[in-house]
Amino acid sequence: MSLFLQTIICGILLGAMYALIAIGMTLIMGVMKIINLAHGALVMVGMYITYFCFKEWGIDPYLGMFISMPALFLIGCLIQKYLINRLVEVDSILPENQVLLTVGIMLVLTETMRLIFKSDYRSVVTSYSTKTFFLGDISISIPMTFGFLIAMILTWLLHLFLTRTDLGRSIRATAQDRDAAIYMGVNASRITVITFGIGSALAAAGGSLLLPLFYLWPDIGHLFTAKAFIITILGGMGSTMGAILGGLTLGIAESLGATYISMGYKDVVGLIIFLLVLLFLPGGFRSFTRR
Amino acid sequence: MKKCLAILTVLLMVLGVTVIAGCGGGTQQGQEAQDVIKIGVILPLTGTEAMFGTMEKNSMEMAYEELKAAGKTTINGKEIKLIFEDDQSRQDAAKAAAEKLINQDKVVMLSGGYSSANTNVIAGTAQSKGIPFLIVTGSADKITKQGWQWVFRGAAAPSSKYTSALWDLFDKQIKPRNVAIIYENTDFGTSSAEAFRNDCKARGIKIVFDQSYEKGAIDFKPMLANMKKANPDVVFAVSYVMDASLIVKQMRELDFNPRLFVGGAAGYTMPEFLENAGSAAEYIASTTLWVPSVTWKGASDYFNKYKEKYGKEPDYHGAQAYATMYIIADALARAKDFTPAGIQKALKETDMMTIMGPIKFEDWEGYTNQDRPTTYVVQWQKGKLEVVWPEEAASGKLVFPVPKWNER
Repeated sequence: MSLFLQTIICGILLGAMYALIAIGMTLIMGVMKIINLAHGALVMVGMYITYFCFKEWGIDPYLGMFISMPALFLIGCLIQKYLINRLVEVDSILPENQVLLTVGIMLVLTETMRLIFKSDYRSVVTSYSTKTFFLGDISISIPMTFGFLIAMILTWLLHLFLTRTDLGRSIRATAQDRDAAIYMGVNASRITVITFGIGSALAAAGGSLLLPLFYLWPDIGHLFTAKAFIITILGGMGSTMGAILGGLTLGIAESLGATYISMGYKDVVGLIIFLLVLLFLPGGFRSFTRR
Repeated sequence: MKKCLAILTVLLMVLGVTVIAGCGGGTQQGQEAQDVIKIGVILPLTGTEAMFGTMEKNSMEMAYEELKAAGKTTINGKEIKLIFEDDQSRQDAAKAAAEKLINQDKVVMLSGGYSSANTNVIAGTAQSKGIPFLIVTGSADKITKQGWQWVFRGAAAPSSKYTSALWDLFDKQIKPRNVAIIYENTDFGTSSAEAFRNDCKARGIKIVFDQSYEKGAIDFKPMLANMKKANPDVVFAVSYVMDASLIVKQMRELDFNPRLFVGGAAGYTMPEFLENAGSAAEYIASTTLWVPSVTWKGASDYFNKYKEKYGKEPDYHGAQAYATMYIIADALARAKDFTPAGIQKALKETDMMTIMGPIKFEDWEGYTNQDRPTTYVVQWQKGKLEVVWPEEAASGKLVFPVPKWNER
């Protein structure tokens, strides 16, 4: 029984971190209708900024978040404004070339980081990195719990932002129907810039939270892109709630698979769920609420 | 109309580039063919294994410079030229790199190969094209067990032989009652685990837990909690560097106390392992092929020089690449002619000393052109790697059983 509980708790804690990264992707996907394949690379850049702050100035990764998030917000805005929006405007050879552009951005970001930091594995060791507390005989990692809480708070703030503020409502309007939003006086291209910025900032937050427990190298982005993509499909495009559910589902499924099948097949479990959702629930978890 | 224009422009550009590149390549090849001996080296310089590939490239270049200073890179007026190719840590790219080096650059010999999977792909290509291939690291058993005459493994051991010294230690001192095995599901991990499993069976040691994992995971706790329940005496783990550090850290988080934890080379001896695992690295043992303190001539010089030049400590992977460069130069110096066949013959007759120990390519126990490796068991003690076995090379004494996490 304790093994089962341990597994579930590990899954939930990990899932929340996945969810935070995926929310950024789902937001961008909802508004832009494109898959941002550079998302993992943005997480990676956020992690490097946090790492750099820690190494150079001794800033704790959790505080480093307040540097990496604005920095990534800015990078995200610039990418959207000067790269992606330009492609939206021109008549293109391929209809999907915004997606190809994000692949290009991913490569540029990855190789730039390799140029600066080399391919070495980096990690941040803090006093609390491996601290745990025990509930009965279940071990719970303190940085994981911290990450979980911060992820939940950020998601809640995002939810408030999207539902209570003018800007948030404009974002949702643009996601629902871009043309209609433009007729209503929403400056859609400005909204996409801001959305991409917010998505990138959330990616950076996820990266900063993971840094004390994980490690870092320039190609780490692929891992996050893959996870975020699966979660986005699970949860349904553009849905914050869906992304949380998707993240938790993926986290728990992976943990259960690791305990009761084999850790060698951990990714298989996640991908089977992904396939099942695509086959039987093409709209993701969001389709439950729509019925 | 706009679209047509765009397509036309792109086409023109592509054509233009190929024409220019074609010309350049043509003249270069014509001039160089006479006075250089081209050696292709395939290493992962980007992708997940880039850190190791970079260390190996640096080491090879360092060895090359030393050889050059000694005048050994020019043989009969022909200069050895290394052409590095990146396999991007992917098998398809490794294959493409090997084909490119053989067909386009017309190299007379190949070297490199970091991961076992990629090494096997390169070996297959080299064998079918009849180009000698000297492996730097790739160590799955099967690579030199296929009777491939063109494939040589000198500085690298077959993965099942990494544990020779460890089994000696087990038999003489530890005598484990039962063991747990965890390994990454790559060629190297599977091959190491398979050999360890067979060695256990031969000795009647019970395996209470045996599982593979996907490398690059964030959370190993489900697997470790499961293993803790099996309560093994000794844990044998085959992991790359960062997985290794996460595993030992999370073992401490779960308060899981085996009497000894032994890594199967690869990750557990790296400086990055210590850096990330911190105090959790203490008392973790590992098998290894090389330590800076070995008595082979030049080993500590290499270590110090590398550290000074690149500001980082190398581990056995770098030493393998460094030794390999010396083996290449030695074989070329003895080769009658610089054709693939001539180099193959010279390699086969190799009998030299390197910082990895004596190198000879022999056929034994089903292996072809395989050097007989020397292995060690090391243990992290007070943040330093001490050799604990074999006794004649030992720099420290094995701590066994290791203290429990809460008693440290």
